[in-house]
Amino acid sequence: MATYSLPPKKEQSSFKKFKKIFILLAVIALYVWTFLGIDIDWTRAVERAASNFHRVIPKLFSPDWAAAGEVSQKILETIFIAFAGSFMAAILAIPLGFLAAKNMSRGKLLSAIGKWILSAIRAFPDIILAILFVVAVGPNAFAGVLAIAIGSTGMLGKLYSEVVESIDMQVVEAMEANGANKVQALFYGVLPQIIPEFLSYAIYRFEIDIRASSILGIVGAGGIGTMIIFAANNRNWNEMGMILLAIIIVVTIIDFISARIRRKIV
Amino acid sequence: MIEFKDIGLVYPNGTEGLKNINVTINDGEFVVMVGLSGAGKSTFIRSINRLVTPTSGSLLIDDEDILSYRGSDLRKLRTKIGMIFQNYNLVKRSNVLKNVLAGRLGHTGTFRSIFNLYKKEDVGLAYESLKRVNIDEKLYNRADELSGGQQQRVSIARVLTQKPKYILADEPVASLDPPTSHQVMTYLKKINKEDNITTIVNLHFIDMAMEYADRIIGMRAGEVVFDGPVSEVSEKTFEEIYGRTIREDDLRGGANES
Repeated sequence: MATYSLPPKKEQSSFKKFKKIFILLAVIALYVWTFLGIDIDWTRAVERAASNFHRVIPKLFSPDWAAAGEVSQKILETIFIAFAGSFMAAILAIPLGFLAAKNMSRGKLLSAIGKWILSAIRAFPDIILAILFVVAVGPNAFAGVLAIAIGSTGMLGKLYSEVVESIDMQVVEAMEANGANKVQALFYGVLPQIIPEFLSYAIYRFEIDIRASSILGIVGAGGIGTMIIFAANNRNWNEMGMILLAIIIVVTIIDFISARIRRKIV
Repeated sequence: MIEFKDIGLVYPNGTEGLKNINVTINDGEFVVMVGLSGAGKSTFIRSINRLVTPTSGSLLIDDEDILSYRGSDLRKLRTKIGMIFQNYNLVKRSNVLKNVLAGRLGHTGTFRSIFNLYKKEDVGLAYESLKRVNIDEKLYNRADELSGGQQQRVSIARVLTQKPKYILADEPVASLDPPTSHQVMTYLKKINKEDNITTIVNLHFIDMAMEYADRIIGMRAGEVVFDGPVSEVSEKTFEEIYGRTIREDDLRGGANES
């Protein structure tokens, strides 16, 4: 057997080693502190789970088929809310994405403003937006659509801006060297490079929005969530089983379709 | 006619890209710029279509100083100057025809181009250009399905479709293998002769420069250190331009294979 000489050890200053150890200790300390801080009463948690387990879980597994009609109607509404919301977001996010992209404007100011707007939007959880819109437009599906639209715009705008920043700018330079104006360079050089990714992200976000919109009804913004909160309050676990079954089926189907479409376009 | 008069270019970071350049390029010439990388060849040809802007002197194209051009003047200038790049710079996801039609953008209104409403003669011209570089059978293939040499031919077709008066080629064969390199250079030379398009090519391979150029301009450290017809050039000239002895990797080779 041939003997190989081992590669030299990576040179590392003692300061770097110290830094690594320090970071490791800091992270461990953070975890310990968090778990002590939230004060979990393990014995009580186990007791409650044990006493409720036989009352709730078996019922979840025997769904109330009589509710199937109403559930399917509500789940359809949930899908519509998610679709309308993510569609609005997919369009609203385009100008914001371009605004936030560093390579689309000369100065840094515009891109900074765009990024700031997008972070500000992302700071709101969907459920908070839903509460705000229920107050603004009343407790109906439209509130849900708006909540989804705004919530998704934050994320999509951010992803769009990253797609725009990753394009090959030399192609755009080549267009401009041919005498194309800015609008032509946008349509011929930029759009073909970004459209597939934009679509893919929009579909992915629709997938997330299906899950998000199933919860919005809890605050009265339409969709299946309204039924969830009623079933939970009435301890109607059979109906809850039916609702969960419907959500699982729909989410799985949408995930499957979305994955297939996304694989096709990129 | 392209005239560099006392052209200098200092980049914002202080590097001098061009120093005191005085060169006149006549219509119909096939000029090859040689020099080591960083010598200023790219800066020289990119000044001509103002992808970079010289900071001193004057640059006349067809007797007009182009250094003050902005906006629509600049686009008009660029419409008559075609450019070929080392990385082809095609839109990879668009098909060949669409890439070639992009050469017409400077001649086409914004509205027409956005909605793909090209004039019939433009589409015909695009197809004709593809035929001239022998790649017309790939018309509806996506650009990223083609090999490097094929992509470079598409980019030549794009420039042809532009109907330019000048063609600039910035290291057009640097990413290609020897036989393909010769093929691309042969097309450029043929177009130069047939259409009488003034062509300026950056190369760093000595043998290719000797084979295709009418005139060679040598650059070193931002200055023109040689300018003359190819008949006056010997290995010694290149040693002067490069400031060192000639090595194996200064040659592309493969002239006999193509």
